[in-house]
Amino acid sequence: MGGQACVFYGAAEFSRDADFAILADAANLVRLGTALADLQADVVAVPPFESKYLRRGHAIHFRCQHAEAPGMRVDVMSVMRGVEPFSKLWRRRTTIELPDGTTGDLLALPDLVQAKKTQRDKDWPMIRRLVEAHYFQHRGKPATAQITFWLRELRTPALLVEIARRRTRLCRRLIPTRPLLAAAVARRADEIERALREEEIAERERDKRYWLPLKKELERLRHA
Amino acid sequence: MIQPEHVAEDEWVDWYRLTPLQRWLESERLWQTYLALGGSLDPEPDTQSPFFDARASRPRTAHGWTGVRVLRRRGI
Repeated sequence: MGGQACVFYGAAEFSRDADFAILADAANLVRLGTALADLQADVVAVPPFESKYLRRGHAIHFRCQHAEAPGMRVDVMSVMRGVEPFSKLWRRRTTIELPDGTTGDLLALPDLVQAKKTQRDKDWPMIRRLVEAHYFQHRGKPATAQITFWLRELRTPALLVEIARRRTRLCRRLIPTRPLLAAAVARRADEIERALREEEIAERERDKRYWLPLKKELERLRHA
Repeated sequence: MIQPEHVAEDEWVDWYRLTPLQRWLESERLWQTYLALGGSLDPEPDTQSPFFDARASRPRTAHGWTGVRVLRRRGI
């Protein structure tokens, strides 16, 4: 769900770990435990590898010792703020096949964008790149669902204005869910820019509030 | 119609024009170079991450360096 997915969809993150979104049910955790044992992976920080922490929204951090992945970090999460439950993520996933026949499952782009709406500076330019890349790749003959996604998530004023000019009615319908689209209809790029900044600040604040009790729990675990 | 070069820098325009698979393979190549140069697999400390622990000890590479180092720099 992290850097590798970002690269695939058109952004670029030189991520040194592998992040996995997983289903935190008993059977799957047994399977995960087996895979981690194969990788000779140990937990490297709090919290411990227990389902209750995954279900509460924590990440579990591992480091592999296997000869083919020495020192590689693996982070596992099951619940992410603002992101749909795992069952929906799994239904919407993108499955890729690499030239050597290896397959992998990635978060769908809309889910990855949601997951990236965090308190960290580095995630926001990433969201912009991800949606821009998708727009340029698909704007030739887009489905309504794709246009709706762009209107909800684009962070590039000029592109929002371009879509609003072509799909004004759809854009107006979405104003209640994203008020800055009113400025896109009015073709006021500077106003969109301002509203995007406000949108980001508000979202980052929500993320900080969400993490407050979880960070306290991590602190308690570190001192236990 | 707005073109990628109107809203993004050249290197991003080039990146957007690759297929997802080409981007994946380019990234793999970059990884191989990074590791061949002795780059560390430890994530960069991210002070904005909710998981950041300032007191956590961080393992070192076997040779004791932090990873890729600048040996010479010209200009700024």
